[in-house]
Amino acid sequence: MSLRQSTHDPRVQALVLLVPALAIYAVFALYPMINVVILSFQKWNGLDPNRQFVGVANYTAIFTRDPVFWVAFRNTVIWTVMSLIFPPVVGLLLALSLNQKIFGRNGLRAIFYLPVIIAPIAVATMWKWMYDPFFGLFSQLLTSWGMQGWIKDWLGSKDIALYSVFVAYLWQTVGFSMVLFLAGLQNVPQTLVEAARIDGAGRWAVFKHVTLPALRPTITIVLVLSIISSLKAFDIVYGLTGGGPAQSTQMLALWAFTQAMQIFDFGRGAAISVVLLLITMAVVVPYLRWTQRHEEVEA
Amino acid sequence: MTAMPTNHAAVHLEVQLSSIKRDPVLIGLWIALVAVALVWVAPFVFIVFTSLKTPAAVTSTGAFVPPTELAFENYSAAWSRGNFANSFLNSVIITVIKVPLGLFLSAMAAYALAKIRLKITKALLLLVVFGTMIPFQVMLAPLFTLVNSFGLIDTYPGVILPYIAFGVPYQVFILHGFFRGIPKELSEAALIDGANHFTIFRRIFLPVCLPVLAALLILDFVSTWNEFAMALVLLQDQRMWTLPLGLMSFQGQFSSNYGQLNAAIVMTVLPATIVYLIFQRYFVSGLTSGAVKG
Repeated sequence: MSLRQSTHDPRVQALVLLVPALAIYAVFALYPMINVVILSFQKWNGLDPNRQFVGVANYTAIFTRDPVFWVAFRNTVIWTVMSLIFPPVVGLLLALSLNQKIFGRNGLRAIFYLPVIIAPIAVATMWKWMYDPFFGLFSQLLTSWGMQGWIKDWLGSKDIALYSVFVAYLWQTVGFSMVLFLAGLQNVPQTLVEAARIDGAGRWAVFKHVTLPALRPTITIVLVLSIISSLKAFDIVYGLTGGGPAQSTQMLALWAFTQAMQIFDFGRGAAISVVLLLITMAVVVPYLRWTQRHEEVEA
Repeated sequence: MTAMPTNHAAVHLEVQLSSIKRDPVLIGLWIALVAVALVWVAPFVFIVFTSLKTPAAVTSTGAFVPPTELAFENYSAAWSRGNFANSFLNSVIITVIKVPLGLFLSAMAAYALAKIRLKITKALLLLVVFGTMIPFQVMLAPLFTLVNSFGLIDTYPGVILPYIAFGVPYQVFILHGFFRGIPKELSEAALIDGANHFTIFRRIFLPVCLPVLAALLILDFVSTWNEFAMALVLLQDQRMWTLPLGLMSFQGQFSSNYGQLNAAIVMTVLPATIVYLIFQRYFVSGLTSGAVKG
């Protein structure tokens, strides 16, 4: 086949169009993911030309001899549960309110969404300064309200540091859920809302019987995205506490990074990554199957 | 979405009338919303005020007391002490190359997946959708190893290529959905006229999807500009740092110089904020076109 003929073949054209993006994706995203699984069964310091196969030793090490792993695991679970509750609920409330015809709603939407587009590391830097126990925002406000007794070392105290970090995360992520819910609300059939109103249904009844059922797909999407992004929480923890004090804000993503890039135990770091990857898959795979079924029903 | 069908016009009017009648529930709602919004902007106000205060004013005046003398020298001092000129330039170079290039490659792939029938199309598509969900934070160490094996640590390609790789799935996913919605007749007529797929992609599909491309472009600009974790691992040399890395290091070194620290925060955040305020509409459409059908 001559070159001219071959460029006439749609399959060749498809290949030319597909290869650049998919090759980069395969090399720089899929390959590292496969490599992380292989690494988790090896012992490697990142420099040695030889990687030594050690079976499941890295896994037994993190499960039985690494106390930080379980702290990080517990914190990741707490963090995920909080991310499943607070940003979606606040986001839904904001979306429902901002879906009403009220004065200045575009400006209000913009305000709630603004933190989403700021670099998480900048959010961390902002909040670290706001949490400053002496001159930070919270300490100043409490002092001016005469509530000095409530001032805490927000990020320095083991018992509250995780929640302090989460408040910053909440501030940043609520706008994202809000925008998704606002888009979902546009799909609520207005004719049904009107019909219910005419039948004398109150606001709560309309919400419960019309809006909420119509929002179900959106709710699923928001919850799945909340879980995924909460598992990825890295920048904001790294910037605010670095996992401290005394590992009280340590999380799986950060601990995997620390093991590999700072302690140079790539095997253990990879094993932690695989655990996190498996947890993510447990959420993602059912979700993908659900969306596929959903599409087939619609098609 | 904004244009209401005509049979809704009456209801539309009614809703407006009822808000004119000052529905107490709506008024209560509005007051609550404004209160929450004030809480939401408070950090910004606090940061901007502090960035313009002298060290003495930071410790002696209240959080929301505006600065009396504007200490703009905080900005120039932070700019030079934090080596911001350098990291700003790196951020610009990486973003300006990565964002259009990545989007173009994604559009090519999305077109092929949507409009050229292959046996493996379905499998490839699944692989792409799968990629939108995998957290790259999990793979920082193997990513470092890989880029290091190519000798690309501390280079622009060494960070641009992984950025493209992790941007491809989401963009292909969105654009594929969009291309699939474009009527077959459009491309089939051109095919019969003897045009090949490259021409159809360039002449028909790219122009048609300009609004989606614009939305993705802006979204990608912001996330590339803000990216921290990968840059932290792949850019070790201070001269190659991007703005988020520069800010992080500035915080470590000068955390007690509150005025300058906050000036550094403002300078890092400002470009993305400006882009957002100008292109607000596109943000929402870009975000929601993927996640929720609108």
